Amino acid sequence: MAAIETERLTKRYGSARGIEDVTIAVEEGEVFGFLGPNGAGKTTTIRTLLDLLHPTGGSARVFGLDSQRDSVAIRARLGNLPGDFGFGKHVSGREALRQLARLRGIDGRERAEELARRFRADLERPLGELSRGNRQKVGLILAVFHRPELLILDEPTSGLDPLMQEEFLALVREERERGCAVFLSSHELDEVERVCDRVGIIRGGRVIAVERVDELLDKTGRRVEVELAAPVDPEELRRLPGVGEVEVDGARARFRVSGDVDPVVKAIAAHHVVDLEFARPTLEEVFLTYYEEGQPEGGGR
Amino acid sequence: MTALIAAQLRDRRRALLAWGLPLGLMAGFEVSIFPSIEDAIGKAVRDYPQALKEAFGIVELTTVEQYLNAEMLSLIVPLAVGYLAARSIASGLSGAAESGRLDVILSAPVSRRRLVAAGFAATAVELAEVLAVTLALTLLASVLVGGGLSFGSALAGFANVWPLALLFAALGIVVTGFTLRTAIVTGAVAGALVAMYVADLVGRLDPSLDWVRYASVFRYYGKAIEDGVDPLSFVGVTAVAVAVAALGAWLFERRDLTS
Repeated sequence: MAAIETERLTKRYGSARGIEDVTIAVEEGEVFGFLGPNGAGKTTTIRTLLDLLHPTGGSARVFGLDSQRDSVAIRARLGNLPGDFGFGKHVSGREALRQLARLRGIDGRERAEELARRFRADLERPLGELSRGNRQKVGLILAVFHRPELLILDEPTSGLDPLMQEEFLALVREERERGCAVFLSSHELDEVERVCDRVGIIRGGRVIAVERVDELLDKTGRRVEVELAAPVDPEELRRLPGVGEVEVDGARARFRVSGDVDPVVKAIAAHHVVDLEFARPTLEEVFLTYYEEGQPEGGGR
Repeated sequence: MTALIAAQLRDRRRALLAWGLPLGLMAGFEVSIFPSIEDAIGKAVRDYPQALKEAFGIVELTTVEQYLNAEMLSLIVPLAVGYLAARSIASGLSGAAESGRLDVILSAPVSRRRLVAAGFAATAVELAEVLAVTLALTLLASVLVGGGLSFGSALAGFANVWPLALLFAALGIVVTGFTLRTAIVTGAVAGALVAMYVADLVGRLDPSLDWVRYASVFRYYGKAIEDGVDPLSFVGVTAVAVAVAALGAWLFERRDLTS
């Protein structure tokens, strides 16, 4: 059974766009990345799944239960970290935790303390006195301390320092190992690449693609910038499999490579390499890839 | 449910002192000065225009209960506690939505209806606590100066404010069904509170406008400190408050909780 299954899920705000015909499925034990720029509809999708927003069309099921009719039963099994976590300025993390544990009818103190140590979260100070990143750590603890079956994370690493981002990604992997499904919204391709099994790409309220992460990366490729000791022959590069968009300026060459990078590395290695850089494409470049390919809107599994 | 009520009451601990203390001190002050101004105030009231006396429900001010009613229970306490009710319900629902707390609480297995019911119940307890503190300080002042304030009468007078204030909490829930902006919720209910008070006043001043009073809960408020609590009004207003709160919960359940 899918942890999340939406069918043409639509939410409009009057005449304004929210999300349109979103069809996705997240399997149990899967980390699903939901990738899109700000305002694409990621948060609207999450809030509709959580029954904070009522859909204007389509349906959403979580663990096979109707997201509206069975929302209370669903929420007993999930953990949620909102994009901008808050619980009131004067409430401490420990008090928020105590309240949420009572609402869930569990203790959970041991696990929460363990997570607080791991993320170096300050549970004593009022949330209003914490930086956004430190508040986010408390929110993360509140989302996972009860060992949910589904974790919904909306831009979870915003405000976290790089070390904590690493720790967070490790935690997501551990949750997956435990069998937890994770729905992770992000606008960072790098973050999604490192932790997700599959990714849905949303833009303008519509899911434009759902892919395995390795397929997505194969398709979008990498941007390569190389500087050799001698001038580069552009034809030599163009002949290599998966190479395109070649630009040569004397000894410097820029091109894009998709699929297997091994032939490219070997071809470059035959020369005296002064500098070499492989970079992931930007989110905009990923979108362009899918638009250029004329991917059907509405997405799929 | 008890966890939700306890959490809300914990957040509102300050209201007990912030509202109960000043109201209690003020009422205590009025009670304590009454023995020294009793004769002068009684004479002054006899010279008041009849219409004015009727408007404020004053027949004469010869007892401390009558004086406490005129000075505190006919205007200041019901308006203050009614406003507190609006403020409390707004902070518990729209305030929680604005701070992001609602999103976190509604990630737990809690229905919106239970959330609203808990907010309403917590407000009911909070109002009772504030009124109890006010009553206690008033009685203490009376005992200290030998003011002779009757416990039963004072209890009736302050207890009678509770259903009235509860109705404004319920109206606050209805308003959150339309907006989650705390300032608008509080402002709208405070506006209704003042409008109802004025409607009742106008109806009492001009008998031809007496029908206006039916739109005001103050019509059913009376002078419990002098006449005792009217059980029908007390239960009736409480029942209407619960019904209005249920309507508000229904509206709240159907609305989008926008971030």
